[in-house]
Amino acid sequence: MALLECRGLTKSFGGLAALQDLDLEVSPGEIVSVIGPNGAGKTTLFNVITGIYEPDQGEVWFNGHNITGLKPNQITKLGIARTFQTVHLFPNMTVLENAMVGQHCRTRAGLFASILRLPWQRAEEERVRAKARQALAFFGPRLTGYREDQPASMLSYANRRRLEIARALATEPKLLLLDEPTAGMNPVETQELTRLIGKMRDELGLTILVIEHDMRVVKGVSDRVVALDHGRKIAEGSYEEVAHDERVIEAYLGRRAVESA
Amino acid sequence: MAKLKRSRAVSAPSRAQVLVERFPLRKVVQWSLFVLIALGVGLGSWKTFTLPAAERYTAAQWRDFVVLGIAQGAVYALIALGYSLVYGILRMINFAHGEVFMAGAYTSFFFADAMHRDGFLNREPAVALSVILLTAMTGSTLVAVLLERVAYRPLRNAPRLVPLITAIGASFFLQYTFRGLFGQQLRGYPRFDFLRGKWHPFGIPILRTQVVVLFVVALSLGFLSWFVAHTKTGKSMRAVAEDKEIASLMGIDVDRVIVTTFALGGAFAGIAGVLFALVFEYVHWFMGFFPGIKAFTAAVLGGIGSIGGAALGGILIGVAEAVGPPLLLAGAHVPSPFQLKDVVAFMVLILVLIFRPGGILGTGEREKV
Amino acid sequence: MPASFLLRRALRSGGVGGAVLIYLAMVGMLEKFAPLDLVGTALPLSRLLVLSAPAVAGYVAVRPRIHAGEVQRPTAGPAMAAGAAAGAAAGAVAVAWMVLVRTIGVDALRGIFVSVTEGALGVLAFGLGPAAGAAVLVPAAAAAGAVGAAVRHVPGPVARALGLALASTLLFALLQRIVPTVLFELGLDPYWMYDRVHGGLTYLGALVVLGVSGVGSWQTAARRARVERRIREVPPEARRAVRLVGVAVLLLVLWVTPQLIGSVLSEIMGTVGVFLLMALGLNIVVGYAGLLDLGYVAFFAAGAYTLGLLTGANLVTAFGLVPPAIVAHLDFWAAVPLVMLVAAVVGLLIGAPVLRLRGDYLAIVTLGFGEIVRILVTSNWLKPLVGGAQGLRDVTDAAIFGIGFRDPQRFFYLVTGFCLLAIFVSRRLANSRVGRAWNAMREDEQVAEAMGISTTNYKLLAFATGGALGCLSGALFAVKLGTIQPGSFEIPVSITALAIVILGGMGSIPGVVVGALILMGLPGLLAEFEEFRFLMYGAVLIAIMILRPQGLVPNVRRMRELQEEERLQDAWLRAQEARGEALTGAGEEGS
Repeated sequence: MALLECRGLTKSFGGLAALQDLDLEVSPGEIVSVIGPNGAGKTTLFNVITGIYEPDQGEVWFNGHNITGLKPNQITKLGIARTFQTVHLFPNMTVLENAMVGQHCRTRAGLFASILRLPWQRAEEERVRAKARQALAFFGPRLTGYREDQPASMLSYANRRRLEIARALATEPKLLLLDEPTAGMNPVETQELTRLIGKMRDELGLTILVIEHDMRVVKGVSDRVVALDHGRKIAEGSYEEVAHDERVIEAYLGRRAVESA
Repeated sequence: MAKLKRSRAVSAPSRAQVLVERFPLRKVVQWSLFVLIALGVGLGSWKTFTLPAAERYTAAQWRDFVVLGIAQGAVYALIALGYSLVYGILRMINFAHGEVFMAGAYTSFFFADAMHRDGFLNREPAVALSVILLTAMTGSTLVAVLLERVAYRPLRNAPRLVPLITAIGASFFLQYTFRGLFGQQLRGYPRFDFLRGKWHPFGIPILRTQVVVLFVVALSLGFLSWFVAHTKTGKSMRAVAEDKEIASLMGIDVDRVIVTTFALGGAFAGIAGVLFALVFEYVHWFMGFFPGIKAFTAAVLGGIGSIGGAALGGILIGVAEAVGPPLLLAGAHVPSPFQLKDVVAFMVLILVLIFRPGGILGTGEREKV
Repeated sequence: MPASFLLRRALRSGGVGGAVLIYLAMVGMLEKFAPLDLVGTALPLSRLLVLSAPAVAGYVAVRPRIHAGEVQRPTAGPAMAAGAAAGAAAGAVAVAWMVLVRTIGVDALRGIFVSVTEGALGVLAFGLGPAAGAAVLVPAAAAAGAVGAAVRHVPGPVARALGLALASTLLFALLQRIVPTVLFELGLDPYWMYDRVHGGLTYLGALVVLGVSGVGSWQTAARRARVERRIREVPPEARRAVRLVGVAVLLLVLWVTPQLIGSVLSEIMGTVGVFLLMALGLNIVVGYAGLLDLGYVAFFAAGAYTLGLLTGANLVTAFGLVPPAIVAHLDFWAAVPLVMLVAAVVGLLIGAPVLRLRGDYLAIVTLGFGEIVRILVTSNWLKPLVGGAQGLRDVTDAAIFGIGFRDPQRFFYLVTGFCLLAIFVSRRLANSRVGRAWNAMREDEQVAEAMGISTTNYKLLAFATGGALGCLSGALFAVKLGTIQPGSFEIPVSITALAIVILGGMGSIPGVVVGALILMGLPGLLAEFEEFRFLMYGAVLIAIMILRPQGLVPNVRRMRELQEEERLQDAWLRAQEARGEALTGAGEEGS
């Protein structure tokens, strides 16, 4: 039984077809990488899954529910979390506050409870803080301790990427969508994150869908790889199968030019 | 390529769930609002037309309402151009543009008054009118350029709310500056003798002032369209509106273009100021506020960033204002329906922004001047 | 910095300074502020303004510039010369204008520029005749310009202490209608400090304030690091106790204030309180949730009229007092929850259409709503309900256990109580899940949605909550006046509230309090400001946005938001300077 099922997704912007009749399935506990050249529709796919765009045709099913057309905040509540291609933190909130925002969809305190600081609200706040710290601690000591109270804009680039993932983890998702998580990281950081992605699946029981350009990451992380080009799926399988698939190579590198006589 | 294994989802959601997911609350509310308004308009109009004969408006009165609406709308259209031009280039609403309009009218007042006292106004009306228009354009252009330089330029890269707040502050500042400079009372604008009474183009009696308004506005719109399409400056303006950075890379002096845009919008606002003063026969330090908002509404209604949109929006707002109250409210026995004409204009604004924020002639916010 | 460049700049600054002087004269401020003595008879407010313009011109003229990758700063000598030049230029421009005016003839000009009077010219001429006045103005302006330029060369701590001292003195001078009364009520003799005849500070009083505040701030600055460390070391339990003591002291001060300042001033402070309450509500909408609401007066009006209709107010007609079409006769305190309910409904009505709108469109639409409300309550159509242009009368008192609150001093307590409640609610919300959601929504709406925050719900919640406070303030306003007049519900009210929030700092509660005290308190206390109130509001909005967008008492978070660019630039600048030193110092270093 699939956790995520995309059927026949089609999405166009003006004349540009970003997704064309795309089918995709992800089983629970899998780590699936989505690869493809720029403009292949990978981020659009994420945006459609998370409800930022509504597909022109096709459906998205998650955990037995048809989530096509739902609003992003509803989808997050159902258990899908994501990070963005360019880091979108809340720059002037502290590290801890950023992570605590992730817990929003799992908590209830409303206007009156917050004003009155009812006991259950205070307990909930403590829980939120603890869970946020837990998510931050996943990345080691870097985002903990005194770092918690620093504004997010002050972090180094790699730490900001990590914080974004931590914030997504704080939403207690079942499915995590990572959009180029290692972009801009140096080899050491990349290796560490690759390891952590596996850890997320093993320790937290997450299912993960990753968009990546760095093939070392793809190789190190994936159970399965899906290759897109011009909005269509052109290959699917293990890393070795896809990496050597002629169509995939052609999509990235182009066709061999005609040899002169 | 590995075969994709199809699998069934666990269970299809219930019918009710599908319905809730397909028809979000917001859409339901929006459409019921739309239906309600359509019903209200229809009902109000029907009641107005079925009033007892003594209370009903005559055909001649309706015609006068429409003509008044078009003339007023033409003035709004001229002011709306300024909003559209600035928005196209800077993506900001020049909230103080209504005060630019006021500045032009007020400046011209002193010259008009002096000429009137001298009798020159009616001896050489053509010359006098030209002087008035020129002084108005000068005054308003000066204010517009000053605004840009002092209040807006330092904030070019600020988050969007900041220049808006500045514009609001500038609007108030200008209003009360003029109040302090020239006094708080209403100033009666002198009348041109040759503009008293009516003309009868195509057999329709129209106030002469209104004819002048329509003529001048049509000319101005034509000029602006030509200017933007065919002159080098116009092309630069369109380029900067399209993409500021690339335009500067192409060698266009972006600052200069922006100043020109403000100046152009200001000049038209000045002309509009004179027209307004001729029709309503007064100037006052607060006179620019409401026409400014209505002109902004017109710009949005027609499609912000588009000249034709500003024109169309202006006419529509003007007519809605003039015809709306008698049409919708008189039948419902609302006393003094014209007190509520501003409400009509604001309702149009709200409805446009809810249902079609891109405006009538716009497909979105990408429409450029 | 090359001398010619500096001179050109000085002249340009001076020109602008002179234009400002001319503006101040022509708009009438100089003449109207002339009777307001700040210190003795030597420094009326008008003279302070006349000297400030060239001083600022001097300050601006010598600002550092970045040229060809390096920072250029004029040294002290040339700087002061340039400042003097700028000041002199400003003075010269003003003199030229005076000559022009005299040539054309003051009376001839008054037909057009109503504020150009002998009085205005007299202020610029320091009360002397035209020739003597010009001879004094230019050197005085030059001196002011030099001082302005010199400020940049005063070492940091000294400048700060001096600035604080001057600001305190100015504050005490402006509070000349309130401080003597307080001292008098405390049994002290205020007249060594304040001039009994002219109203402002005496020379002695000014010196004392200068000295005390200067020395005081000097000492605190020196001790500041130590004090801050000590505060940080205080354990949390003790911290709570300290906070409670602080609150108790504050309550005590608020309790005695009306007794100290007397009835008339309490009445003014009552109005300040009403607007503070309104601004606290707008602070939630604008400061927390980031929704620029320009039509906030709609809530103010709704609260006032609802209270009137619920508590048995009457219409004023040609036939005498008549009850409105729909009216109830509840007690004030019973009506308050209903007023808040109405607030929530109005909030939803205003919020629902604007949910998807972008910032500037949202502002205009809310402005439209505010205007619609005003037009409706003034209209003849709704006259049977809300009294049209004549409004409602006989609004009930907020009596509880037989104690009425219409007496100005009692009303102070009433409105202060509500303000404290509003502050309490605001703070609780700011530090809760709701506040986090609002912050996230304000910083990045799309990402907030992706985090599971329903921006729709939270926007509506902001309107409803902020609106509740706005309606409460309207209800209190109605109680205070006893009547409800539609003239009180015009756009300037919305702009006043906005200016208070912006000046103080969006999202900052202490900022809003400071903003209300400055923007409502000062014009209330000093009648000379009344005429220029909105002129100043407009100028304040522009100045704050350009110079200090985070407001006077910033919410630390907001300050970062709006100052990001500058900090990055500052950091780059410092790096440049450091690199410059490194290159000249240690030879080459890998960078």
